[in-house]
Parts: sequence; structure tokens; C-alpha cells
Amino acid sequence: MHIPDGILPAAVSVAGYATTGAATWYSLRRINRKENPQESIPRASLLTAAFFVASWIHIPIPPTSVHLVLNGLLGAVLGYYAFPAILIGLFFQAVMFQHGGLTTLGVNATVMGVPALLAYHVFRLRNVVVRRGDPGDRPHQVWTGVFGFLAGSGGLGISALMALILLITTVPAHLDVEVERASVYALAVAHIPLMVLEGIFTALVVLFLQRVRPELLED
Amino acid sequence: MKLGLDEHAHLDSPLHHWETRYKLVGLMVLIFAFSFVQDLRLLPAMLVVTFALYSVSRLPLSYLLTRLRAPGFFLLIVAVLLPFLSGSTVILRIGSLALRQEGCLDLLLIVTKFVSILTTGLVLFGTAPFLAIIKAMRALGLPPVLADMTLLSYRYLYEIGDDLETMETAMGLRGFRARRSGRGGHKAMPLLGVLASLAGTILVRSYEQSERVYKAMVLRGYGHSPRPRDEFQACPRDVVGLGGVLVLAAGFVAAEIFFRRFGG
Repeated sequence: MHIPDGILPAAVSVAGYATTGAATWYSLRRINRKENPQESIPRASLLTAAFFVASWIHIPIPPTSVHLVLNGLLGAVLGYYAFPAILIGLFFQAVMFQHGGLTTLGVNATVMGVPALLAYHVFRLRNVVVRRGDPGDRPHQVWTGVFGFLAGSGGLGISALMALILLITTVPAHLDVEVERASVYALAVAHIPLMVLEGIFTALVVLFLQRVRPELLED
Repeated sequence: MKLGLDEHAHLDSPLHHWETRYKLVGLMVLIFAFSFVQDLRLLPAMLVVTFALYSVSRLPLSYLLTRLRAPGFFLLIVAVLLPFLSGSTVILRIGSLALRQEGCLDLLLIVTKFVSILTTGLVLFGTAPFLAIIKAMRALGLPPVLADMTLLSYRYLYEIGDDLETMETAMGLRGFRARRSGRGGHKAMPLLGVLASLAGTILVRSYEQSERVYKAMVLRGYGHSPRPRDEFQACPRDVVGLGGVLVLAAGFVAAEIFFRRFGG
């Protein structure tokens, strides 16, 4: 999912920085509308670090294991802070572990961050469906789980789709149309089980947070 | 847990002494100039510039080799797929597999650009403390919210990483073995439930800690005192260095444009 340096044309990398700049500007504008935006900076920062660390947790799928992307969960918990958080997380990934890259930081942030913002809005629909009642109620929990699943699987699904389209259409390779089509289908199909896994994991985490610290899920 | 980002930030080299703002602008422009290159004839020059920069920086070779190991998996996939899938000019046939010329050239271009950009990035982030780089970004116009979030996240990343290690050790001591799933181990859903609780606990603990951190920051004047002025001061040598690197970057872009138009 982290597109590395050297693979995309410079124009695409620059366009990635432009879209990231626009999405960051929009997110910061929404954040600054809050009554005391500075109050939430430490919270968003520590949660950014926590998400970064949580993505190191490996889910064993014998004979291997996978780590989750968690961009849908990030959107559900951090709201408009999700985009800056993802940008910072990817910056750390690039400079500390050489995952992703400096020229592709903008592209990667767009690919992961825009679906996170969409996941935030999907998760907020939960408030439309269950307006009243105790958060411990059965329907409340069911809908939290359902929208958690949709946010998690949708976040990863849209990111994977964006990354695949970008790679296939811009990589400077002389692939023929048949090979190109086959690789898009193969990679898209390979991501379906991961989407389900990400969705279930996100639903379980939001249910845990609902039980232990419901204010973390409040807007 | 140590991520070792500032491991070699205090060595003595011209690149370590280069003022961070100028270094950031110069090397980022050079990195983008490298990513602009598509003509194979420019690759040797790119490698020469990259490794000249790395040797001037006096960063140890082991540092570069360790950092190149992490993305090696990506390189391996590209190296295996491209020469056999991309292009139409077959240069060698091994059974049903055909080695194609265009694929091999694409591979050469991608790998060289990847190594050059990554090495230049290592020079940029390995020759100055991370804190100084974020301060330089702030001086160059990074929004304060992003700068504060980056610094705070970096500060607590180590602590939260240690928290995760402690919790995993505690879970292990109580008999939890994530890798023993499947036969004789945990069933899939309860296993996911435990790992989701682990991730959730990391989030809850960070959230609770952030409330204490915010109060401590407010007590020290956060949000009320004026922001400290940036302490950067450039000397003529820094400006000359920036000029030199910008000319180099412009040279790569100009040569690429020339080869595209007239190079055949």
C-alpha cells in the first residue's frame, strides 16, 4: 500500500503533494473551527502515535501474518484529525523504516487519508440511525459494530482501489493490456479477504472503545 | 525501543554543518529532480552524485545497507516480475518464460531511481537531529498544528511502543500465543477479539495520557506564550551549498528535457 520512491513519474508525485496540501488545508480549516483547537492537539498527537504503534500488531494467518492499515478506524476515532495523523504517520514510516518514500508521501497520504475522511463520515451515520438510548443497549452496540465494519473495510477497500489504479496507469512499464487487466483483477480479488479482516477488526476495536471509553468515539 | 533516527546526527561533516533549512530545500529539490529522470543515460550521473553526497556526509556504509534491507522485498518483486512481463522484445527464452528487453530497462530505471532517492533521503535525515528538521520545516511554513502534532507524536512514539511490548509480554506470560492460532491454538474470532482489545487498550491508555500531557503543557504556557523564534542563522557557505545543489538539480531536469526532445 505504501508506494515507494522511484516508481511513479515526477508529475504524479507533485500532483499527490497538491492533493495532500488541499486535504490538509481543508482538515485544518475544520479543526480550527472548534472552540479551542489547541486543546485537542495533544490528544490527536498521542492517538496518532498510538495508531502507528497499533499497526505493528500482526494478525496471524497461517503460514504467515498480516498487519492492518487501520485508516478506517483512524477516521472513526480522530475525525478531521485523521488526515494530518496519516500524513505524519506516513512521514515517520518513510524516514524511520523506508516504507513508502519522500517523493511519494503526498500520493500515499492521499490514497490512505481521503478514504479515512470518508470512513469518518460513514461512521458518523451511526448517530443518525441510533439517536437515543443508552450506548450499552443492544441496538446501539449492533449499529456501532456495523458502521465500524463499514468504516474499516471501506477505508481499506477504497485505498487499495486508488493505489491499484494509480500503479497500473502510471508505472512506466510496457505492460500489454491483457497482463494489465489480469493483474488489476488478481490484486483486487486478493484484497477482498483483507477488507473483511480489517472491517471485523475495526468493528471489534470500536465496540471495545464503546464499552471502555465511549468519549473516544464522540464527535 | 529505539528507532535510531538521530544515531549519526552529530558527526562532523560539511553536510552536518549545512544549515538545516537550506539542506532541506536543496536535497528535496534534488530528490524531485531524480524522480523526474526517465532517460537511462542519466542514471550513471545520478548514482555518482548520490554516492558523492553520501561519502561527503561521512555516514557509515552499514547505516545505508541496513536501511536498504527494509524495502528489499519491494525490489525483489519488481526484479522478478518486470523483466518477464513488460515489453515485447524477447532477449532470452527459458522454457515458457521470456526475458524481455523493455522490462529489464524499466527495472534498471526503477531500481536506480529508488536507491538514489532513498540514499539522498538518508543523507537529509541522517545528518541533522529530527527535532532540528521539524523546526526547519516550521520555519519554512509548515502549519503550527502539523508541527506540534509531529513533535508530540515523535516524543510519545517510543513510550507507546514500549507500552505495546510490555502488554505483549504480559499477555505471553499469561499463556497467550498469537502465532499459535489454528490447530491447537486460539480460534480465529476470539484471537481477533484479544488483538482488537490490545489495540483498543493502546488507544485508551494514550488518550488518558494525553489529558495529563495537555494539562502539563497548559501549566507551562502552551497556547498562551508567544512561539519561540527559530534559531536558524545562515552563513554564505550555506547559501553557496544550496546554490550548488539547485544548479545540479536543474542540470538533471535540463538534460532530461534535452534527451526527450533531441536525444532520439
